Amino acid sequence: MNKIIVLLFILTGFTELEVKSDQIITRQGQTSFFSYTSVENIEAKNNQVLSIIDLSKHKIAVSMLMNAFVFKKSLMHEHFNESYIESDLYPKATFEGKIIDFDPLATGTQIKIIKGDLTIHGITKEVEIKTTIENNNGNYLLTGDFEATVKDFDIKIPPILAPNIAKTISITFRFEYQPYEK
Amino acid sequence: MKNKTHLLVCFFILIGCGISINAQDLLETLEKEYPDTPQYEFATFKASRISIGHSIETRKKGILEIQAFNRFWNIPNYGGQSFVADKLSARLALEYGISNRLTFGAGGSTLDGIFDGFLKYRLIRQRSDGKGSPLSVTLFQNGSYRSKRNRPFPDVNRFDEFSDKLAFTSQLLIARKFTPQFSMQISPTYTHRSSSAFSEDPNNQFAIGIGGRYKLGGHVSIASEYYYVINPLESIDTYDAFSLGVNWELSDVMLQFHLTNTRAMAEDAFIMQTPNNFNFKDGNLVFGFNAIFVLHLNQKQP
Repeated sequence: MNKIIVLLFILTGFTELEVKSDQIITRQGQTSFFSYTSVENIEAKNNQVLSIIDLSKHKIAVSMLMNAFVFKKSLMHEHFNESYIESDLYPKATFEGKIIDFDPLATGTQIKIIKGDLTIHGITKEVEIKTTIENNNGNYLLTGDFEATVKDFDIKIPPILAPNIAKTISITFRFEYQPYEK
Repeated sequence: MKNKTHLLVCFFILIGCGISINAQDLLETLEKEYPDTPQYEFATFKASRISIGHSIETRKKGILEIQAFNRFWNIPNYGGQSFVADKLSARLALEYGISNRLTFGAGGSTLDGIFDGFLKYRLIRQRSDGKGSPLSVTLFQNGSYRSKRNRPFPDVNRFDEFSDKLAFTSQLLIARKFTPQFSMQISPTYTHRSSSAFSEDPNNQFAIGIGGRYKLGGHVSIASEYYYVINPLESIDTYDAFSLGVNWELSDVMLQFHLTNTRAMAEDAFIMQTPNNFNFKDGNLVFGFNAIFVLHLNQKQP
């Protein structure tokens, strides 16, 4: 009987250990977006993006507060949150997906496709994002860029401002992960 | 033996927990990782005025606002051929955000020759995360100088000395953003006039303002304001200031259109000394048009 108890101890210990070593997280991920038009260039950066990767399941999740985006003009920040992205109603943008053919153990650089659901402004779209994954002795760095169409996410732009805001917004990201400890 | 079975059950629960943590959604895990930084409501109102009176909003640091407030009205039984309206009054002003909470502004009105300057400090900010204050509070203090008499309207102060022409208004602006669309404000107001032409008039006057806005879309809202004067002037008949209007903002420009009974734009004049009531008769109905242009003098590097 005592042996069984010891065994169970070891087992629970293992499961918990496994959970710890399997997940990596970033709390200061960077995401920027750019809108280039002939009238106006708009860019904003968020340095407080959260992301977590489950290495064994090849799963990744990203979550960010929309009002943490910093703009050159503070009025743009207000308009972005109040009139376009409506962060009162939809405070966060999230992504949940899977890294296709991911080999967590391979060191160096690998370029993989991440396929998953991107939710902005309360609307979810399936996207595929080409991502550079660098594994530097267990320190993972993910970088990449992709484009999102404003219309897809039901963001209303008044006709008079249509020339100022690009139809597709380019988004870049850079996430440096650390082992996740609860 | 019985104890051991208990232990066993405990272990199974433990393992169960372990497995459930494992199976937990990654997004849910991230949800708990958000730092507990306070989240504040923004844009309770869009501009520094609801329509005629000050709102709790102050501009961020380094923002310069160039403002042109205009009032148009007709003179009853007037035979002239003026363009659009018989009379026009304009207040040209600048407002600058000294810090994210403190704004300084100064301007001059053409009709009554009032020059005014003010400081506005954002004392308490409403938080949107359910903690902290449910209200925003802003302190407002202005001083105004009446450079000329304003015929045909009666003058309630003396014009002998420089100090006779001064008036000071303090406001405690209290507002709450109830929903993303709807905000309300209550503005207790105190005005001190340095001199009175008539002995029966109070030098210190009190009023309570109530104002609100309702957002119709991303860029358009309707706004209304009413100021109730508690101890009005005795020598002349004055009426409470009222306005009903539409606010429209697009990128760096804000336009406010309203129907009102006030012609003056300095606080002591339009709140306490409006000589006509709100109705659609010529001479009483005033069309107001505020144009605000926003300049960012120091831009952040994102």
